[in-house]
Amino acid sequence: MNKKFRLFDFFLKSLIWISGIFIFTVLISIIFFVFYKGLPSISWNFLITAPSELDGTIGILPMIINTVYIIVITLVISTPIGIFSAIYLNEYAGKNKLVKIIEFTTETLAGIPSIIYGLFGFAFFVVGLKLGYSILSGALTLTIMILPTIIRTVQEALKTVPNMYREGALGLGATKLHIIRTILVPSSIPGILTAIILSIGRIVGESAALIFTAGLGYSLPSGFFEHVKSTGATLTVQLYQYAIRGESLEIPFAIASILVIIVLIVNIATKVIAKSFNKER
Amino acid sequence: MKMNNFKMQSKNLHLHYGENHVLKGINLGVRPNEITALIGPSGCGKSTFLKTLNRMNDLIDNVKIEGEVYFDDINIYDSKVDVYLLRKRVGMVFQKPNPFPMSIYDNICYGPKLHGVVKSKFDEIVEKSLKGAALWEETKDRLKKSALSLSGGQQQRLCIARALAINPEVLLMDEPTSALDPISTIKIEDLMSDLRKKYTVVIVTHNMQQAARISDRTAFFLMGDMVEFDETEKIFSMPKDKKTEDYITGRFG
Repeated sequence: MNKKFRLFDFFLKSLIWISGIFIFTVLISIIFFVFYKGLPSISWNFLITAPSELDGTIGILPMIINTVYIIVITLVISTPIGIFSAIYLNEYAGKNKLVKIIEFTTETLAGIPSIIYGLFGFAFFVVGLKLGYSILSGALTLTIMILPTIIRTVQEALKTVPNMYREGALGLGATKLHIIRTILVPSSIPGILTAIILSIGRIVGESAALIFTAGLGYSLPSGFFEHVKSTGATLTVQLYQYAIRGESLEIPFAIASILVIIVLIVNIATKVIAKSFNKER
Repeated sequence: MKMNNFKMQSKNLHLHYGENHVLKGINLGVRPNEITALIGPSGCGKSTFLKTLNRMNDLIDNVKIEGEVYFDDINIYDSKVDVYLLRKRVGMVFQKPNPFPMSIYDNICYGPKLHGVVKSKFDEIVEKSLKGAALWEETKDRLKKSALSLSGGQQQRLCIARALAINPEVLLMDEPTSALDPISTIKIEDLMSDLRKKYTVVIVTHNMQQAARISDRTAFFLMGDMVEFDETEKIFSMPKDKKTEDYITGRFG
């Protein structure tokens, strides 16, 4: 290697390191800042009560419950549809024009601002289907919003399954459906899990699409299933409401800390699950 | 009625990929319990021909097949033929070892499970198949380990065992040793002379010495034609066609 080249190499390496350190520092600073501002305001009472003028409490229990409801309902609907669509696109559809159009549409949908999904959800689910401001309307809206992400991620996972597995199984007399069930889906589980984490991240972080659909309700559920039809703000929506009032930032930061913790737990849990899946094989 | 004692036989078989005329009227009979080798330069159609024997070409877009291929006395291109059952009876080993990403045990059981064999027979099938592929001694203590942890040569023998597990009558091998080191190649060649006792084997190979060493009959393919087909000894000692002679003496290919 000549001197000029070595210098260039050194320069590039430094650049990579500096970028890495920069990202790491920014991330850690944000997390610490949020925790520093937020953690002191979190008390047991804060976690287990509802906001009430009468009792003088400002708890977030309803929002935690609403968030869990929306995550679960959205994933229950969108994950199977997303996986099936991805399998269809990748294994059955072939390479015709229609598929190209579907893929293009999916990509475009993934990039649309969430407020537009909110507007659509309001017009279609809340007003059109008369579901009202409800957790169900919110979850259905988010289902449409995250479907493109799930489809794309699962499709990428399916594409990485080597073709020779498909050939090998066909050579043994397996049908396409059998190969999908026994080889493709099991091999794509890490990708499916990634799709689920990405989705949870988007659901937890979403406010614009939910304000017009799930509404701003803050009461505790009256029943396990009834709650689906009642209005309910998620943690992020509640954070947004407190923040725009501009009174104090203590509660928004407390909620933010909880959100960060939830996202961390989800990420770690998924990594652990993915690892145990890989070990089995 | 069995035809001429052939296990498999193609009659005037033509195959087109779109505009490409890949097989130009092949007439070839494979005798039972023999090893038939298909040799020829790249692109001569030998692998394509092999894949017509268990209809693996069906999966390719734009493929057009004319003529007949008989398996015993069934024309396998007849519309009534169950192609999945055909592939159970005519097994295949591919160029690159392709074990599934699961345990050694589950790889072997994949076929039996698929074809409805009861679970209680699995242990026996696994042992028998691995022994049949000369892999039992190396793997009997690690059957639950991932098949991907095996070496390339072991993986290929696992693929042979996987194919044997569903009791095929014919075994098609598409350059099974081309991705392997010399020692693994020898092991698989040794194995093949054993396989002949129970199965009918058709092997595509790039390696002429390999064809000479292991096969009973050899077919020489060139540009979609089958130039010559005879006992291996005759093909390699006194080929009738000038083109065959040129190829086996290394003048081209």
